[in-house]
Amino acid sequence: MSSAIVWLHGDSLSPTDPALLANPAAPAIFVFDEPFLAAAQLSFKRLFFLYECALEAIAGRTGSIRRGVVVEEVRAFAAEQQATAVHVTASVAPRFRQYVAELRAAGLQVVMHEPPAFVTWRGEPPRRFSAFWRRVAAEALRPTGTGPVLPAEHEVE
Amino acid sequence: MAATWPVLPQLVVYSKETLNDEPTMQLRTDVTTRAEQVAYLAGALDGLYAGPAIPSPIRGGRRAALRRLRAFDARGYARTRNDVAKRGVSVLSPYLRHGVLTLAEVRDSILSRFGHTPDTEKFVNELAWRAFWQLVYAQLGDRIQHDLEPAKHRSRAPRRQLPPEVAAASTGLVCIDESLRELYTTGYMHNHARMWVAAYLQHWLGVDWREGAELFYRHLLDGDPASNSLSWQWVGSTFSHKPYIFNRHNVERFSDGAFCARCPLAAGGCPFDDSYENLAQRLFGVSLAELEGRR
Repeated sequence: MSSAIVWLHGDSLSPTDPALLANPAAPAIFVFDEPFLAAAQLSFKRLFFLYECALEAIAGRTGSIRRGVVVEEVRAFAAEQQATAVHVTASVAPRFRQYVAELRAAGLQVVMHEPPAFVTWRGEPPRRFSAFWRRVAAEALRPTGTGPVLPAEHEVE
Repeated sequence: MAATWPVLPQLVVYSKETLNDEPTMQLRTDVTTRAEQVAYLAGALDGLYAGPAIPSPIRGGRRAALRRLRAFDARGYARTRNDVAKRGVSVLSPYLRHGVLTLAEVRDSILSRFGHTPDTEKFVNELAWRAFWQLVYAQLGDRIQHDLEPAKHRSRAPRRQLPPEVAAASTGLVCIDESLRELYTTGYMHNHARMWVAAYLQHWLGVDWREGAELFYRHLLDGDPASNSLSWQWVGSTFSHKPYIFNRHNVERFSDGAFCARCPLAAGGCPFDDSYENLAQRLFGVSLAELEGRR
């Protein structure tokens, strides 16, 4: 019996997703968002790319890839796995925030993981990139050691 | 809303009938070859996509992402990144957009392998654009889908919907059609070509940026609401201080002359074959100095 599942979404669809790394044994789910996709009518190329990403992300653990209503599928998966907590990596997308709110309203504990920051930033961004860059350039150009190191060649083949 | 946009004429929009009252659908995770996965997913996601069930040559997944990161040589990037023919770009954007690679680890990898040079600084600067768009998206949410500022100058072209030639990549302009064809067949378009197409649609054809952004979003593997819509607004001057325009000289210079060499309009009738001063007058009815906000 597990107490937590990991919910993967299209903004963090990697075996190195922070929520996955924090829960190495937890079951994971990715849902093709049926109402959104039915309206958006994206090209198949994009959906297949997501599928390839999701397959690798869940490899080696109990995983499920579904099509449906995201919140309903995540809730159903949590129930199947007897989990009360959903771990997920944060996204700035409004739709993501809405789904998190719905999961919490449904009684699930949602544990948010932050993706590694490129630069630290607090407050509102400026209106122009040039102003942003002036303020972050020094930090952006300093390696932080965040994120996995590029593996040796034989490991990526 | 997307269903109202034109699609490639030869493409079929799959029926949505099957969507109603379907029970939970688990997708298989045990299909082994890529060809079998394509055939399987085409059926499993029926109704959720437009166009033919053909995958991109760009593979999804962390392994493919790391292969591409390893293969990318940042040396010369500052010089070659804008060249549509020389292809100095990394093509890491599909992986960055989906969190398969993070900006931080790509930055670290490039700096550790190639050191601090003008090339790597330029590359990290480009990574920072994505970080910037994400911050704006975090602040404004879906408001990024509306004009963030008044346009500094509006094209004099009459407003029109996305013409079918654009959806069919048959405008007759080789630089535009080749760029669109790359988008439709691979799900990728070189950044400089994106700027050409976005400027052409908005400033020459009079298409609203939202229609162009929607077309790109539907096809791009790296399609991201923030990067995509905000870049279209940057070209249109609703999120920048001037509209972006280009001319034939720019296309020739950054495509090794290859597009123009094959273009039937090269000998006459090319809408881009003019000085920036004349284009500012033709497209916006202002001088170049006014267009660029210099007076």
